[in-house]
Amino acid sequence: MKKENNLDKITRKEAIQKMGKYAALTAVGTFVILNPLKAQSSSPPDPGGNPFD
Amino acid sequence: MNNNLAPTYKKLFGGYWVLWYSISNTYSVVESSFKNLLDYYLQSETIDSFKANLQPRANAETLLETIDNYLNDCNKTPTPTLNNHTVFDASNRCILKHYIIKGKSIRVNFDSELVLKTIHPALAHLSTELSNNIHTTFDIYLKNESLLLFKDEQLISCVPKRDYHLMQGKFIMQLLCTIHDNEEEDWVSTFHGSTLTDSISSVLFVGESGKGKSTLCALLTANGFDLLADDVSPMLSKNSCIYHNPSAISIKEGAFNLLEPIINTFSDLPIIKFNKTKGPLKYIACTNPKKNFYPCKAIVLVNYKSNADTKLESVSIKTLLETLIPDSWLSPNPLHAKQFLEWLESLDIFKLTYSDTKSVTNAVSKLFKQLNKNL
Repeated sequence: MKKENNLDKITRKEAIQKMGKYAALTAVGTFVILNPLKAQSSSPPDPGGNPFD
Repeated sequence: MNNNLAPTYKKLFGGYWVLWYSISNTYSVVESSFKNLLDYYLQSETIDSFKANLQPRANAETLLETIDNYLNDCNKTPTPTLNNHTVFDASNRCILKHYIIKGKSIRVNFDSELVLKTIHPALAHLSTELSNNIHTTFDIYLKNESLLLFKDEQLISCVPKRDYHLMQGKFIMQLLCTIHDNEEEDWVSTFHGSTLTDSISSVLFVGESGKGKSTLCALLTANGFDLLADDVSPMLSKNSCIYHNPSAISIKEGAFNLLEPIINTFSDLPIIKFNKTKGPLKYIACTNPKKNFYPCKAIVLVNYKSNADTKLESVSIKTLLETLIPDSWLSPNPLHAKQFLEWLESLDIFKLTYSDTKSVTNAVSKLFKQLNKNL
């Protein structure tokens, strides 16, 4: 799940990719950790366009 | 050691293992070499015995730290949700809408035009005159910067108003429970993606926002396929089938020109302005599929790319799950997690790159024929 309006922090996908590369350095193979949403959701709003702002 | 942190389920898909951790409802995709190391760690009785057999020895600390951190990340306990005791307030019933869905009469009350726009445009094609024989009543209104959702005056969801997509997701879940006669606990998942059926089986189309999932599904509904679900594709535990979600397909402005000559009455559809970044939207109502549910035999990662040739290629479970899981709700029930993994095992997984409407229709038709041969 991507965070919106948050340029300083990396997205989950980027974090996962970095973690994977780190693991690769140890020569033990890569891994990714994936967390599903905790609650049902429809498509999240794109950054900057939230009608409730 | 630390066997309490071990994955509950493990399944091999080609070169990858998919592991599921019950404490956190976390999925992990790992290469075989990592799985071997993890197994070795879990089987070791002490840290020293784990380190003793690792070569080179100098790397043992790093490996230990990697596995420790990995297992901790996979076993983070979820934060408990706070109980909210908000009392229902009927004075917020300012706009009333009434829908007939699968023979059930459903009333939704909104407090404002803005809140109405979170739900009504996708269901407008099902709205009717008000009647007295109401099966279920929903109320949605703003209170103290939160969006509240009630079903028959019982609080279902309370989320910060900026997270309105979570209220929408909860509303759709409760609507599905109402029209398909079951409870929230009966569902394995609501996948973020659109599902099409040829009246025999179904295919789930997933992809990041803007990759053309909904546009592709709208195109294909004009070419003989039925829409089973757009945006939220629900899977029921009882039969592991995807069920009909009656919401209309939401189309962004960028696809208006493409769809106008293909979808009858597209130009007559009202333009809905709600989210500034998403821009104007149109909602395409589709005819109901012949059955309420179909088995899903394939997942397709959609990738619209201008001027690209149509290409349907197999992709790894890792590529699929990296897209599917973070954007989907998956039930934490161990039975459901097992069902999800077993379903994944039975699937064909593809990536579809396309730009041309005719060739992509042919490619999807061929895919359905191929899937049905295997039934």
